[in-house]
Amino acid sequence: MDERPVSPALKLLAFLMFAFLLAPLIVVVPISFSGDSYMMFPPSSWSVKWYPAIFLDGKMTAAFWTSLLLACAVTVLCLVIALPAAFALVRLRPRGAEALSSLFTAPLLLPTIVLGLAILIVFARYGLLATFPGLVAAHLVVTLPYALRVLATALSTLPIAVEEAASTLGASPFTVFRRITLPMMKSGLIGTTALCFLVSFDEVVLSLFMTGPRIQTLPVAMYHHVEQQADPLVAALSVLLVVLTLLVVLVVDRTSGLAKTFVK
Amino acid sequence: MTDTSTAPGQGFLSIRGLTKRYAGFTAVDNLDLEVPKGELVAFLGPSGCGKTTSLRMIAGLVPATSGRIVVGGQDLTEVATHRRDMGLVFQSYALFPHMSVAKNVAFGLEMRKVPKDEIAKRVKEAIALVHLTGKEEHRPAQLSGGQQQRVALARALVIRPSILLFDEPLSNLDAKLRDEMRNEIRDIQRRLGITAIFVTHDQSEALTMCDKVVVMNQGRLEQLGTPVDLYERPKTAFVASFVGRTNRLKAVATDGFADFGGQRFAAPGDLSGPVEVMVRPHRIALAPTGGEGVAGTIMRATFAGDILQYDIDVAGQTVSVELATRGGETVLAPGTTVALSWRPQDVFVYGAAA
Repeated sequence: MDERPVSPALKLLAFLMFAFLLAPLIVVVPISFSGDSYMMFPPSSWSVKWYPAIFLDGKMTAAFWTSLLLACAVTVLCLVIALPAAFALVRLRPRGAEALSSLFTAPLLLPTIVLGLAILIVFARYGLLATFPGLVAAHLVVTLPYALRVLATALSTLPIAVEEAASTLGASPFTVFRRITLPMMKSGLIGTTALCFLVSFDEVVLSLFMTGPRIQTLPVAMYHHVEQQADPLVAALSVLLVVLTLLVVLVVDRTSGLAKTFVK
Repeated sequence: MTDTSTAPGQGFLSIRGLTKRYAGFTAVDNLDLEVPKGELVAFLGPSGCGKTTSLRMIAGLVPATSGRIVVGGQDLTEVATHRRDMGLVFQSYALFPHMSVAKNVAFGLEMRKVPKDEIAKRVKEAIALVHLTGKEEHRPAQLSGGQQQRVALARALVIRPSILLFDEPLSNLDAKLRDEMRNEIRDIQRRLGITAIFVTHDQSEALTMCDKVVVMNQGRLEQLGTPVDLYERPKTAFVASFVGRTNRLKAVATDGFADFGGQRFAAPGDLSGPVEVMVRPHRIALAPTGGEGVAGTIMRATFAGDILQYDIDVAGQTVSVELATRGGETVLAPGTTVALSWRPQDVFVYGAAA
């Protein structure tokens, strides 16, 4: 980034934007330390009892493990599917590669509620509703486009001469991919992993269609919890999730640079 | 690193009828070339002339439409790049950014499953050869452009390739570094007796470094020869004007004489009709009017220190003349009439381009 003087007006605008985005979080943090038994701002008394309460709530902990496992499975599958797909689209350039990559990113443009309904209708017929494989499949619909986009961009910005150099030095195409292409895509791979994990872990709308009494993800469990009782437990959980997300972002930033990973 | 185990004749590169056609145009058209072992041959031409495509076909990075590529008696036309045993030095260096200098250089040897202790020894030698001892653990990004190109050279040399290919390796370097690298590449290539192809669009690079030069234009080989051949005996108008600077004059030829603006002079060859006559600016002598030669009028005189440069009007065409200064000469004023003359071997006559 170039260091350029920033006008005070722009600084103010940026401050207001951030305030707008972060204000709800600022309200959630004090509520999570509330001593009341229902959500109220500002709280009338203070306590930390809602944090341990999360871990005593069987539904919440079960939902957390479901979501964690789900996000991990979705992330791994996403990489396994999107990496060869991105390679094929960018490097092998089949006829209609442009059209194909638009098609593959199309789910991002559809309202999630429409996707959810469509998936509900199709999955119901095959008994996939409220099952773990069903959830994985549904989440892949929204995470794959991101993965493909980020990986295709990472791949297309790699100088092809470096791979050619490796092949003149005696590396077979597979060795070139493993020893040269993959390490050079490191930041793209880390970015894809973080993005897929977070999108899957935070996904609400599709999961609402897909979950039931048998299986619940954390965001859906939180949603139902708020519907039934308005205690500050959800606020405490939200703070934990924000911390978790920040940790992921921090790890990405430390390992490969956030701007380099997502903005490129 | 000297390789004496190879018998004479091996590593001999033979290119026969090499052609590359893309939809709508022919990038390389029926290229024939024999390169003896140990020679450095330049592919010289303007951008789009097919020189890089030819090199990439030799390396196997671009499949040939037709023709054969034979190295040391072995036909490599259908062999995959990674089995061709060629070293390629790229314009963009193309180093592996995630590996140290030593790892970059070792890569080709690892691919050849050379034992570890021998890899260490050969990498050390190669790095010393390009004067980078001490930089082994640096990443490419920590090196200057010239140093990066040295790493690329060491990486290509260390595998003892049958042929070393250079794709405009000096174009990204600044002028001073370019001269330095030019000499270094030439020295190393001679010392190792390695057969090499050097692609460039810079005629001075081709002339000063290479044993032979292939001049290419629009996918075709215009002329193959030593630098002296190309400069003194250019076969085509394209070669005459691309290699070195030259005056191009329109004239009409009859019976060994050329005629422009009513003035005749000896023009070798048996062409008749409209021709293009070429004379290099520093091969023209000037004399006061009345002497032997073609009459002209000085339009502009430029004193540039080591040379004195005149633009002279000869029957409506401008002829550029350059005289080496020795001190004490008078600069002729514009408007002065002079006689221009040249030795018969310094004039080239070609059929006029349609």
